Amino acid sequence: MKYTEFTREIYWNVGQGPSTLFPMYLFAVAAIGLLIWRMLQRVRKYKLGISLQRDDQRSRRFMLMLRNVLLQQKVTKVAWPGFLHGLFFWGFGLLVIGTTLVVLQADFTDLLFDIVFLKGNFYKIFSIVLDVAGLLCICMLAGLLVRRYFFPTEGLESGTDDVVMHGLLFAILLTGFLIEGARMAVTELGTPLALWSPIGLLVAKAILPLGESGLRALHKVTWWIHLLLVMGFFVVIPITKFRHILTTSANYFFSDLGPKGKLVNLDLEDEEAESYGASTIKELTWKDIFDTDACTLCKRCQDRCPAYATGKPLSPMKIIKQLGEVAWHDPEANLIETLGKNALWSCTTCRACQEICPAAIEHVPKIVELRRSMVLMEGEFPGEEVMTAMEATEVNGNPLGFGYAERGNWVKDLGVTSLAEDSEVDLLYFVGCYGSFDKRNIAVAKSFIQLCKAAGIKVGILGKEEKCCGEPMRKMGNEYLYHSLALENVELINSHNVRTIVTTCPHCYSTLEKDYRDLGLESEVVHYTVYLEELITSGKLQLQAREFDCTYHDSCYLGRYNGVYQAPRRLIEAVGGTIQEMEKSHDQSFCCSAGGGRILAEEKLGERMNIGRVRMAEKTGTNILVSNCPFCLTMFEDGIKGAELESRIVSRDIAEILVEGL
Amino acid sequence: MKILVCIKQVPDMESKFKIDGPGQWYDTTDLAWRMNEYDEYAVEQSILIKEELGNSDITVLCIGPRRVQETMKKALAMGCDRGVHVEDDSVHQRDPLEISSIIAEFAKGEQFDLIFTGLQSQDRGSGQVGLFVAEILELPSVSTIISFTCEGKEIEVKRELEGGMKAVVRLQAPVLLTCQLGLNKPRYPTLPNIMKAKRKELSVIDVEQLRKVEPICATKSLFVPEKKNSGLILEGEVSELANELIKHLKEKTSFLA
Repeated sequence: MKYTEFTREIYWNVGQGPSTLFPMYLFAVAAIGLLIWRMLQRVRKYKLGISLQRDDQRSRRFMLMLRNVLLQQKVTKVAWPGFLHGLFFWGFGLLVIGTTLVVLQADFTDLLFDIVFLKGNFYKIFSIVLDVAGLLCICMLAGLLVRRYFFPTEGLESGTDDVVMHGLLFAILLTGFLIEGARMAVTELGTPLALWSPIGLLVAKAILPLGESGLRALHKVTWWIHLLLVMGFFVVIPITKFRHILTTSANYFFSDLGPKGKLVNLDLEDEEAESYGASTIKELTWKDIFDTDACTLCKRCQDRCPAYATGKPLSPMKIIKQLGEVAWHDPEANLIETLGKNALWSCTTCRACQEICPAAIEHVPKIVELRRSMVLMEGEFPGEEVMTAMEATEVNGNPLGFGYAERGNWVKDLGVTSLAEDSEVDLLYFVGCYGSFDKRNIAVAKSFIQLCKAAGIKVGILGKEEKCCGEPMRKMGNEYLYHSLALENVELINSHNVRTIVTTCPHCYSTLEKDYRDLGLESEVVHYTVYLEELITSGKLQLQAREFDCTYHDSCYLGRYNGVYQAPRRLIEAVGGTIQEMEKSHDQSFCCSAGGGRILAEEKLGERMNIGRVRMAEKTGTNILVSNCPFCLTMFEDGIKGAELESRIVSRDIAEILVEGL
Repeated sequence: MKILVCIKQVPDMESKFKIDGPGQWYDTTDLAWRMNEYDEYAVEQSILIKEELGNSDITVLCIGPRRVQETMKKALAMGCDRGVHVEDDSVHQRDPLEISSIIAEFAKGEQFDLIFTGLQSQDRGSGQVGLFVAEILELPSVSTIISFTCEGKEIEVKRELEGGMKAVVRLQAPVLLTCQLGLNKPRYPTLPNIMKAKRKELSVIDVEQLRKVEPICATKSLFVPEKKNSGLILEGEVSELANELIKHLKEKTSFLA
């Protein structure tokens, strides 16, 4: 042996002469060249899309990428099979580093500068770490394989890609151990170093009967096979789901940095524009096409999609897959026809897909973009009732069809005035359409006013001048109507110099807080749950507690869109409530069915989501279902009747629960 | 085809109506305005014809104050080619004949092949304007149409009769038709068409240039029906009820006097 005892001879048995190095590097250059060439072909496809800036704030983006690639943050959010993937990734990462160190030393540092670092204690650690990493990879891969082929969950699609990927990885790992075993059987058996490669040692002992010449022959052949397999791995990266190693990692970098859920504005001033929204792949952005390449069909989105769960023709995963197929095979295809109108209209924009996606794919904006094309270019809606609601909103500023002048009537007997009458107020309550006109939700609005009064807060409203915030219209694709409503609201609010706006509707909240900023809204916007919690914390609002059990529904637009999970729960607890959580809660909450403008539409396909959600609430054994959103409240009232659970459970808003503690 | 569509701007029927100061019409404060429902069918039908035949020109006409241009823009966005706004702040005081004569005065030299109106307006509801226009212009007319087909100048329409009966009428353009619910489903304007509508010709004519006829009737007063004594519910055996009913009729009415 050339070096001190704790090391090994690199290129043992195969030799480091030109007859090894030349073909080896030729293969490597060819494989990596092929990989780059094929990836560049894919980049050409991404460029079919329109431009979108996603490379600002580079250090933030880079950190986001590191966190999700190296720490596997999003992947491991679903423990099973997330940790199998995570452990496999970390194990395989160590093997890649190890192999790189070997190449680095043998063909560069040692060859050129006589520097050898794989020796002594470092070599011992190197040896055992790689040995254990290899075993870990095999175990995790086996786990993933068993999950995929023996216990597949509903909707898991397995194709040629999966066979190639599993086969190739297993072959690489097993040949690796075989090479190690053969080398150890000849050179290391009986030395103290052997114990630092426990798995290799087992293999060595098992194949010892082959004798030295047999072992040497086995070693040489396997070495070349292993090399070719690894080169094959490089080659197939761009053409199998292996590409996610590159694309998913990059997709974290290109993530939407927010504000979360804010849609891109259409340029409605451009009089030359001939098309709005997207009906072909070329009208989507490059990022939308890139997303399709980052998808690994893990189906986490599909598993959480409330539309899919209730038998509607929508799967967020399928949408991404189909968009990818169009981009690659039929870039002229009409996307609306390919994906299907019913699928596109079924989305409630609940964001469950997007929040869970371990590849940072943005499903919802794509669906809205396609809806924009249907509405703005074709004047199409999911049903006549939706068109009626749109027209009602154009005329009266609310989708319910009430005369606009009645908007502030609900508040008359509460002594609250409009800002037009008195603008010296502590806060502007942006009531929203349901709070203003819907009988059930007027009760919520009144409760909120009572709570503010009890805390000594002077509230003003916009009254008949307030218009729908435009959120349901916007999510339905009617950007033009949204834009005109929003402009009027922003101008009006700014004219009153409002400092703080509170809403009882999370859709209004999200729209004012995020979307209206583009149109110049400057006031601070707060959802009433957060606002009331502050009043309680500061001691301004004092409530009596009485013990009761309930369950709490996280609305999509307060929860997933705005991350408010704790304030509403603390409010319920403040008046003595004990929350029995539903199976799906917090960021896994199940939509009530009314998001994405679906509040305007009848739910004609599949089972009804609200009934499903009410049943989940009933399963907790409590008899109050508390929510924080007028749409949810409306849907649950309806769902309770639909599920015939009137005697078992009631639907209430947090404000109504709190007002009982006054 | 050269087509004229006459539309009216009316208040949204969900609004709370109040009588105006002089007590002759409704107060217009706090009202939201929209296109008269039946006129939407008229607009839609004219656009359907243009889409089918091509080579057509649709003029949309509306009488009223400045604000009616908002409603006209919707008709233009739906697909009408040009707008004629007959500016008239006193439109609500004119009787149906006067309104018809204004329209007829505009239309008489224009050689329209087809004139569409709604069957009636949602606010006044006289149902006369369209048919008067036809009379003044000496055109054949069909009211309450619920279907329309044409081949060249040959027109076939279906109209609604009492008791669910329908009639098929064939006639030759030029002709005036008033439109009823069921004729079509008015479209939602697309955004490119909304944008295009902003650049479409919208000419304004002062009503005095077209007003040639004096009104023959005037609104004396407009009022909400007075609340009268509530009804009387008789209860008991049928034979007794009949006697009691006769007694009431004798005492309180003149039917059996």
